[in-house]
Amino acid sequence: MSDLDDFKATYFDECSELLAELEEQFAEIEHGDRSNGRLNAVFRAIHSIKGGAGAFGFSGLVGFAHAYETLLDKVREGGVKLTPEAVALCIRANDIVADFVHAARVATDLPEDYGADEKGRFTRLAAGEAPEDEAPIEDFDIDFVPVMARIARAEAEEPRGASLDAFEAPPLPPESGQWEIRFRPHGELYARANDPLLLFRELASLGELTVRAVLDATPALADFEPFGVYCAWELTLVSPTVTETQIREVFEFVEGNCELSVVEVQPLAMSPGLPPLLIDEPDELPSFSDLMPEAPAAGLMPPAEPAAPLPSFAALAEAVQAEASVRPAGVPPRPEPTARKTVATAEPAGEPEVERRNGVQSIRVDLDKVDRVVNMVGELVITQSMLTQQMDETLRVRYQELVRGLEVLAQTTRGLQDSVMAIRAQPVKSVFSRMPRLARELAQVTHKKIRLEMIGENTEIDKTVIEQLSDPLTHMIRNSADHGIETPEQRLAAGKSETGVIRLSAEQAGGNILIVVEDDGAGINRDKVLQVARQRGVVEADEQLSDEQIDQLIFAPGFSTVDAVTDISGRGVGMDVVLSNIKKIGGSVHVRSWAGRGTRMTLRLPLTLAVLDVMLVRVSHNPYVIPLSSIVETMQCARASFERVPSGGKVLQVRGEYVQVIDLCERFELGTPADDKTRFVVLCEAEGSVKVALIVDDIIGQQQVVIKSLEENFESIEGIAGGTILGDGNVALIVDVQGLKSAKPRRHAA
Amino acid sequence: MRVLTVDDSRTILAMLHHTLSNAGFEVLQAEDGQRGLDVLAREKVDVVITDINMPVMDGIEFIKHVRSSGAHQSLPILILTTETSQDKRDQGRAAGGTGWIVKPFDPEKLISVIHRVVH
Repeated sequence: MSDLDDFKATYFDECSELLAELEEQFAEIEHGDRSNGRLNAVFRAIHSIKGGAGAFGFSGLVGFAHAYETLLDKVREGGVKLTPEAVALCIRANDIVADFVHAARVATDLPEDYGADEKGRFTRLAAGEAPEDEAPIEDFDIDFVPVMARIARAEAEEPRGASLDAFEAPPLPPESGQWEIRFRPHGELYARANDPLLLFRELASLGELTVRAVLDATPALADFEPFGVYCAWELTLVSPTVTETQIREVFEFVEGNCELSVVEVQPLAMSPGLPPLLIDEPDELPSFSDLMPEAPAAGLMPPAEPAAPLPSFAALAEAVQAEASVRPAGVPPRPEPTARKTVATAEPAGEPEVERRNGVQSIRVDLDKVDRVVNMVGELVITQSMLTQQMDETLRVRYQELVRGLEVLAQTTRGLQDSVMAIRAQPVKSVFSRMPRLARELAQVTHKKIRLEMIGENTEIDKTVIEQLSDPLTHMIRNSADHGIETPEQRLAAGKSETGVIRLSAEQAGGNILIVVEDDGAGINRDKVLQVARQRGVVEADEQLSDEQIDQLIFAPGFSTVDAVTDISGRGVGMDVVLSNIKKIGGSVHVRSWAGRGTRMTLRLPLTLAVLDVMLVRVSHNPYVIPLSSIVETMQCARASFERVPSGGKVLQVRGEYVQVIDLCERFELGTPADDKTRFVVLCEAEGSVKVALIVDDIIGQQQVVIKSLEENFESIEGIAGGTILGDGNVALIVDVQGLKSAKPRRHAA
Repeated sequence: MRVLTVDDSRTILAMLHHTLSNAGFEVLQAEDGQRGLDVLAREKVDVVITDINMPVMDGIEFIKHVRSSGAHQSLPILILTTETSQDKRDQGRAAGGTGWIVKPFDPEKLISVIHRVVH
């Protein structure tokens, strides 16, 4: 499989999700929720589908989605009202989009004009014109002719417009309880032994029903086909409790064999528009058989003159009238169908529809459910390791069977944990794959030559982390393209090749995933960064910072070195967003720059968000845990081996290197331990390979813990990454090494 | 009112019989499509309920045969289907099925569906 196919597969998966999202959103929109959040979600979904389609050259889909998007944009701006008709059109359009996506997936061609009708209506709606009638006469599948039709239409034309006005009348109240149903059966409906009368009977059980026949399609007598279908109906159903779903359920069996629109209307708006088209005599409805024998020989049959009412219809009408007075107290509630088609016309979408249902090879599971499993597995792993620890030597000798059982349990729980983690893991490819396009666009806009190299796309990370990765990566690559890479002229002058390189890589390093964005550009202009930082008060005027500290300033909130804001990197929001996004998912960012040679930004992300390998330590009398991934080594030391530095801090010399010392006892204000006591040093590595020595009272051992959020259960504390519950039921806090380290200088400044 | 039930599962036939006769229907039974046609040839029925997967003659063929004979063009035929076999359901509709009943059916729903297709 080529890379392109991979990307396409990702795109199609994404489309499946977006289409499902659309369906969800419209389910609410249909029920009257027109909040901006929903409209924005719909807009984003269509926009994303269009974007991907453009990348792969699915021009039909792009064109259609564009028209759809344009309308949505107008709606968002408030220029176009989202009438029930427009909603119905959108829902129909969602199916068309799905058909396009499906056709692209199986590489078949849809007809040239597929969706052209809806597309046209989008364009007209967006331009502020009223949508056309739901049921265009041309779609009628019987080949009937002129004589009668012409007359009927000539009469119908004017009123039809008026009727439309009634439908398009100002924003409708969400629940008027009056439903206008247009129903035009096709021949197949009768061929399958369905009977409109029975449908009406069922509708009548939902509320007060008025039935009017529409005979505008009746041909000349000579042109009547034995199995032709010439009668359609317009029905008005009044019931304060009935839902569109209930109404559509009545038509469930004839879906695809008729044209159907169900629209809720304002009671007042109804009366002027409808009658002209119809025979306004609900209790004397004509039937096909009645029309035949008594029609005039000339073949001109007035549509509005039924010879005799069909008995069953009369009975129905009577029943309906009779029921009208006692309704709707006894209307039985109907169960909502689990799945339903939400298009306005029940035209069959045909094969693509069927396959669309079967096309997805995966199931969608609520992340919460997976998280629950992850958490429980985490607890299981911990309990298991606790059990193992409690087996002392005498027990081991005495209960060998038990020991063996525990070993198997250990293996199984490990396997279970890996499997559960694998459910959440996805290759970073799904995010990386969006970047080449970004790089191309950036190169065009900045008039620079940029080559994007990607390494390690198959590295897998937790799904939540992946989702949070897209924005930061986009910002980082924009930053590199905009500020890092120089123009071709500058590069040539500096003796570099014309084309700048941005390298995006992912790799697993211990319990972390490292994602690195590096470029071979000019590097960070430290003088300028420092100057801006001082101007904005991010850094005190007299504060001395190392090169590395200056580099990190680009992540400070609201910081931007560019005087004239560019279109690309944005408006000084960007790099600080990167930092906050990454922190949110338990990661960290580090930047390193070499003047004239380039910049490297490293994201360090946790492999998983749920379970952590830690070292359990004791500070004063309290247990703390330190993530194993940040520990370099541990050692025993006498307190005297620390040296004081002029700033008031302490350092420890480790193999010739001076390391900042943080005494957790002091830092967490747990009292001062006696000087002569032997204590332990846990040497940790913070960002950028900077080491820091944490002093603890005792080292208890290694284990795995399930992370419990402190923010959710208490509040955020500097230097603490979270909490956990130990095997013996005690709560231990998780030390945030990076947080401790960066908190220190601020204390000094304050 | 007479209902012809066609299914190779004795359990389903028995359940249909129980539900339908309790609701006042007269119930005829056939174990496959061919036998269903035999029943239709000699008995007058008001509605047919048929399974799809059956030996000898499956439900789709059965429906096609029923519809092709002039006498039964307006005979309502309900297809027994499951949530997961929508393609079968669609095939059944294409062959001339009037509506469908999703297995496992609840008695009330079954009766209301029959009333939806029978006068």
